Order: sequence, then structure tokens, then C-alpha cells
Amino acid sequence: MKRFATIVALGSLVLLAVFLLYPLALVLDASVRIDGTGAFTFGNYAAIVKSRYYLGSIGNSLLAAGLATGLACAIGIPLAFCLARVDVPGRALLLTLASLPLVLPSFVSAYALVLLFGHAGVVTTALRGIGIPIGSIYGMPGIVIVFTLTLYPYVVMPVLAGFQAVDASMEEAARNLGGSQSYAVRTVLLPIVMPAILAGGLLVFIEALENFGVPAVLAEDRPFLAVDIFKLFAGESDANPAAAGALSVLLIACTALALLVQRHYLGKRRFSTSARSAPAKLSLTPGLRLAAAIMSWGIVIVSLLPFAAVLMVSVLRFRGPVLTWELGLDNYATLLSGSYRPLLNTLTLASVAAVATMLIGAPIGYVVARHRSRLSGLLDFVGMVPFAVSGTILAIGLIVAFNSGPLVLTGGWLILVIAYVVRKLPFAIRSSSAIVHQLDPSLEEASVNLGVSPSKTFATLTVPLMASGLVGGLVLVWITAASELSATIVLYSSRWATTTVVMYHAIEGTGAGLAAAAAAVLILVTAIPLLLINRRVNKQEATVI
Amino acid sequence: MTAIRIEQLTRTFGPVRAVDNISLDIAHGELFTLLGPSGCGKTTLLRMIAGFVEVESGSISFGDRRIDNLPAHRRDTGMVFQNYAIFPNHTVAENVAYGLKARKVSAADIKSRVDKALERVRLAGYGPRSPHQLSGGQLQRVAIARALVIEPAVLLFDEPLSNLDAQLRTEMRIEIRQLQQALGLTAIYVTHDQEEALAISDRIAVLRHGKVEQVDTPERIYRMPQTAFVAEFLGSTNMVPGVAKAFDGRNTQVAAAGTEFLVRGEVAAPGAPVLLSLRPEALRLSDGSDAALVHARLALREFLGPVQRLHATLPDGTRLRVSALGGAAFDALPGAPLVLAYDPAQIIAFPAP
Repeated sequence: MKRFATIVALGSLVLLAVFLLYPLALVLDASVRIDGTGAFTFGNYAAIVKSRYYLGSIGNSLLAAGLATGLACAIGIPLAFCLARVDVPGRALLLTLASLPLVLPSFVSAYALVLLFGHAGVVTTALRGIGIPIGSIYGMPGIVIVFTLTLYPYVVMPVLAGFQAVDASMEEAARNLGGSQSYAVRTVLLPIVMPAILAGGLLVFIEALENFGVPAVLAEDRPFLAVDIFKLFAGESDANPAAAGALSVLLIACTALALLVQRHYLGKRRFSTSARSAPAKLSLTPGLRLAAAIMSWGIVIVSLLPFAAVLMVSVLRFRGPVLTWELGLDNYATLLSGSYRPLLNTLTLASVAAVATMLIGAPIGYVVARHRSRLSGLLDFVGMVPFAVSGTILAIGLIVAFNSGPLVLTGGWLILVIAYVVRKLPFAIRSSSAIVHQLDPSLEEASVNLGVSPSKTFATLTVPLMASGLVGGLVLVWITAASELSATIVLYSSRWATTTVVMYHAIEGTGAGLAAAAAAVLILVTAIPLLLINRRVNKQEATVI
Repeated sequence: MTAIRIEQLTRTFGPVRAVDNISLDIAHGELFTLLGPSGCGKTTLLRMIAGFVEVESGSISFGDRRIDNLPAHRRDTGMVFQNYAIFPNHTVAENVAYGLKARKVSAADIKSRVDKALERVRLAGYGPRSPHQLSGGQLQRVAIARALVIEPAVLLFDEPLSNLDAQLRTEMRIEIRQLQQALGLTAIYVTHDQEEALAISDRIAVLRHGKVEQVDTPERIYRMPQTAFVAEFLGSTNMVPGVAKAFDGRNTQVAAAGTEFLVRGEVAAPGAPVLLSLRPEALRLSDGSDAALVHARLALREFLGPVQRLHATLPDGTRLRVSALGGAAFDALPGAPLVLAYDPAQIIAFPAP
């Protein structure tokens, strides 16, 4: 058994070293070199610290992420409480819908905001028509709104699990000992849920900090870290890989710091999730219950409205950049008249990446969960590193690493797949180790005891037992790979452009209708598989986050 | 023929010596029990034999063959797990056939052997069922059939009955014992339940802190414990500290609990501190004709059906539990004087720690 674990661990570490650590090392290296000569310098960092523009970029990114985290908690915690403790009508459906924004592409939501409230937006034009001026949603407000509405489920899921993990008897004990309802909430409920709030909040913060698509669509002239890194690396006029490297290192430092704080805090506080009897629903007056229902449904509907708007707009005609109210499939015609290629690429790349991610992630998750050793601990840590690395930075590292030398990958499909696999690996590892934790280890021991070797036991017993969970993970990886933008935009070649790339360029240019159609296709491509397996996924997300 | 020889086996987990230099010889066809409280190392020892815990030093041999360097799947042991470990994705028959398939037995043979094994555990006809359709006791029988059907060199039981309710437990232990004897297999049985160990074992090893306290037959373990720990762990004995006095050529007088006891043999030098083990059933209410007597007062009476337990207070306040037959007429009230009789040969003295 030990040999099997060692082989998996060593193999995975080699893969991660080549396709994650080596590229990152090159980015770090570039950040301390003088562009061109290659001499060692801290000048790139000095330049950033001295530059008002880059300091502004860092400040904007941190501010947007911070505000989004606060707002996501402000709507996520009450929603989680209502889902856990109030008899909200349509609770099951609400739960499914509440998890949707996480997997739908956030830059589509951002684009919807532009369609509705942008310079030529539907609502903007309509309001202006009747004489009401409307403030700009570009820059900070729009970005924070989109982050909040797309990332709040990261708070809802763990906090909901936390509220449900409080055994009814604990609250009853607090009440029985003479505590009032509010005293019980303050002294029993909140301390137990606090780690979940922090865990969820930090995830929002990291995701918002790393996100490329949303500021790319909404920032206009305001500088944002993720966008600046991309422009510095790939920009035509003002390329400066060394500065891009320095900014990347700073971004990674921010996310890594947040992750370490989270790990440190959570390491000391663990709440048991083995409630025997879930706490009873609160008995509320009809008025309060209505208020809770309106709030819960309101949050979820508002967060999904942008996606609905995009779907609607995609079947309307555009005249130039101006939307008309005529129905028609012109946008789709334009999208597909160019070529089926991008859509096909999206489907192919996502499929290959999803299968590869699970094939690599499942054995790692198994080893990390089952075989505690120094090697598996190292694997667990390295496997989580992609969490702290944004897609853009990983992509830059991959280009620098595999643009020349013994292994040339740039321009092909493989480099895209590698980027997706590495980025989604933490998810695959987490979800499979969560599944393994639910499997009784004595099942495998029984198989080995009966004469089946450990590697064969893994393949013929453990994998089938994990299968239903792995399918859920596979679909989630597929969805997120299909809507991936931040790494794709750096790595794609014209032969391997994806739907997200088409959409990005359509937004940048003037193809408003084209962008809407591409966005609608992305929504359909991601939502359909999700709804097919939503129960399984819901369960898994709660365990993974 | 599978005799098992364990020599100087050791395994540490960090600072804990889970198995500490244990040597045991187990004869072919013996049902050998490892008994002890949780954390005594019994399960670790069993898992070392199965190959799930690595041996740090020492050796394990089945017959002449040393097996501690073999991987777990080639040791030819049949293990019955505490939580049954029935594969939920296979039918009952597939579960039982699992080890035979791994041994590349022909399909026809598998069928007949599986049927026979299920019959042996009184589950004939249950083959096509799913595990989730079976009760806990039935699952345990499937687990036993699965371990038996491969005709292993050694059967290993890891607290197999601890998840069953009390009545099923006593039934199953009889079935396990009869199967093991009928098939003539060597078996190692881990339990923390002393009654279970006494009921089914040929021999018992009592473990404590990774070391063997005593290896003996159930009768000798119970009646002649070699250490205070063994005496205390088996049955609910009364442990009373005292001081040895004169030896009269037959019995030693021991001053304890404000009175005096007689213990057969010269148990310690006069003045040496000792620990007396007085089994509740070794004490009885005197009918006036006995030589060795203790005077006490009744503190509490528990009526348990077949027996009643009297809690007696000795002169210095020490409490003793005394077993009396439930049918015996006895209606004394708390505070009433009691005269307890005993046989000095049934009292065991240990040197005080």
C-alpha cells in the first residue's frame, strides 16, 4: 500500500514541479532581472513602488476585493441563515439556484451589466430618454457589484453547512441552562459558524483579487492588477515582462498571505459537522417569514438576472452597437458564420481537461486522504498552490517555460489543457479526498486481505465506489474549464481560440451582438450539465469549499 | 498446519510503544484471543499480522514461513472487520467470491464454494441480495463467510461483535467458535470484552501498554491472575490494599480494611504491603459454620434477577461487592450487620505496586 502511495505522490509531484512550480519560478526570476540584459535587480519592484499608476492598480484590486468580500458576507450570511433555519418556500430550488453564480462565467455577468447600464445600455438609454441621468457603472461600482453577485455563494455554502452542523441539542442546552434565544445565538451559534464565515470570505477575497475577466470588461481606464499584468506581458506597445513578473509576484503574495491566514485560523478551530438532529426551523410570524422569503429569493434572483438578461439580449437584433427590440437569431448567425471552430474548441478542450484533471486529481486526493506521510503532506500543500495563482500568471509562466527549449508547447492545444488541469487540480484533489474520507478504510483493507493488490484494489474497488462523486467533480471541472478566460486569453493561438476568447474580443471591439450570442452559448454550455447533476454537485460544493 | 510464532515484535507510533517486544506461540487450530482495554496494542498487533501495520522489529511466522516481509495481499489471512467492511457495490455472493476471484479459482468452483460458505453461516439463498438489504448480524455472517471461503492459513477477528446488540453478540460468538472448531482453522481474536474472551478462547493473552501481562487458558486467567491488572480486568473484583502479617504454615494473615483476611500460602514477608483480590463470588453470606469470616455492614443491595449484588462496608469504610444468588431469601435493610465467609484459597494477593 505504501508503495502505491509513494508512486502516486512522486509522479504527481514531478508533474506539478514541471507544469506549476517551474513556470512560477520563471515568473519570479523574471521579476528580479533587468529586461534584456538579464542582470539581477530589484529595480522592477522599486519602479512599481514609485509608480502612482501601479500603486493605484494594487490599491484598486485590494479595495474591490475587500468591498466584494464585505458585501458577499453581508448578503451571504443572512441568506445562509434563512436557508438553514427559516421555512422559506421553494427552499430546494433556491439552494440549487444559489450555487449557480459560482460556476457561471463571471465576466458574462459583467458584460450583462454593460448591456443594461453601460454607455449604450438598455436601461441607460431608456432612462436618459425620459430625462433621468444615470451614473456610470464602469470602474469600481460595477466591478464590486459583479464580484458580490457572482461570489457570494462561496460564503453561503460553508456558512449554511455551519448552521446545519450545530446539533439541535446544543442550542437546546444553551436555552435549558437559562440563556435567551439571542444569548444562544451569540454564544453557541456564531462561534461555531465563524470559521465558515472566514473561510468563505477569504475565498471571495482571493477569487476577486485574481479575477481577470470582470475588470477587463468593466474597468475602462481604472488600473487593476490582473488586467495590468496581462497588458504588461501581452500588450503590443508597452510590453514589459519584468514588470509583469514583479506585479505577479505581488499578487501571488497577497493571495498566499490570505490563504495562510485562513489556514492558520482554521487549523485551530474545527467545528464538528456531525449533527445528529438538525436544529428546528424557527417559528416566525407570517410577516417575518414573508420578509425572509423576499430577501432570500431577491438575492438569488438579482444575482441571476444578469445571466437572464444576456440570454434575452442574445435573441434581439443589434443595429451597429445599438440594441433594437426586434427578435431574431442574427447574433447566433454571426457567431457561427465565422466558424464553428471556437465552440468546438471550447467543448474539446474542456472535455480533455476535465478527464485529465480527474485522472490526475483522484489518485492524489486518495493518497492525501488515506496515507498520511511527509511526502503526501508535501503533495497536499503543492496541490493547493494553484489556488493562490491566478490564471493569467500561470499562463505567463507556462509561455515563458515552454516557448523554447526541449519542450515547446506554445501555440498548441496542449498548453491550454495543461493550464486548465493545473488550475482545476486543487478542486479535483479536494473533492476526491472528501469522497475518500466518506469511504470506510476497512473496505480497502478487506480487499487487500482477500488477496487483491493495493493498486488493483484502488482501480477495481475504490474508484467504482468514488465514481458517483467523481462524476460530479468531472462536470464541475468541465464547466469551469469551458468558461475559463484569464489563462486562455494569454495562451490561445488563432487555431485554438475558444468561445470565451471570441466573446472577449467582441466586447473589446464593437461586436455587441456577437458578444451576447457568445455569452449566451457559454451560459447554456455551463448551466445545462450543471442542472443535470445539480443535486450531486450541491452536495459536493459544500464539502469542497 | 498453521502454527503462528511471533518473536520480539515491536511497533512504536511517535513516543507510544503500541506493541512492545511481544513474543507469542499460537498452536495450530487454536482460537487465541488478544484481550485488553482500548489502547493496549491488541488491534495494532492483529493489523501487524494482517500486514496493515509495518513491523518495526521482530518477526511473524506462519509455520516455518516468515511472513512479516510479505505485502498484505499475499499473507493468506482471512480477516473479519469490526464494521464488517462488506463491499456495498457488490452482492452478497460477489462479496464472498471476492477472494476466490483474486486467487483465480475457476468460475464453477467459485459458485459451489460460495454456496457452501453461505450455507455454513446460515445464509443459503442470500447470494443475489444487496448488502443494504441485510441486517447487522447477517452482514457479520457474510463477512465471516468471505473470510472462511478462501480457506486462509489464519483467521483474524478484529472485535467482530462489538457493533451487534447484546443478545446477537452471545449467539454469534457461539457460531464463530463452532465454525472455527469445525474447520480446524487457527484464529486470532481481538476483543475488549472479557466475557466474550473467556467464553470462546482456547487461550487468552491479556495485553496492557503494548506488553503481554499473561497468556493462559480462560480458567487460569480468571482464577489465577498473575498480575493485579489481569485480576482487575477480568471480572469485577474487589481490590483491597493491606499489610502481610504472620504465616501460620497454611495461611498468611493480612491486615486490610480495618479487619483481617486469611490468604492461602505464604504470600509475602511479614510487614510487606500487598493488594488483595476478592472476587464477588468468592464471598458469601455465612451460615455460621465457616472458619474464615469478615464482619461488615450492608450498604446497598442491587437485585439483578439471577443474582443480587450486595455492597458491604468493611470497618474502615472500604466497600466490597458480594454476589449472592438472586433466589436466596434476603431482606436485610441497609445498615444491618453482615457476616461474610470465604475460602482463603480463592483470595489472591499481589505485591503492592
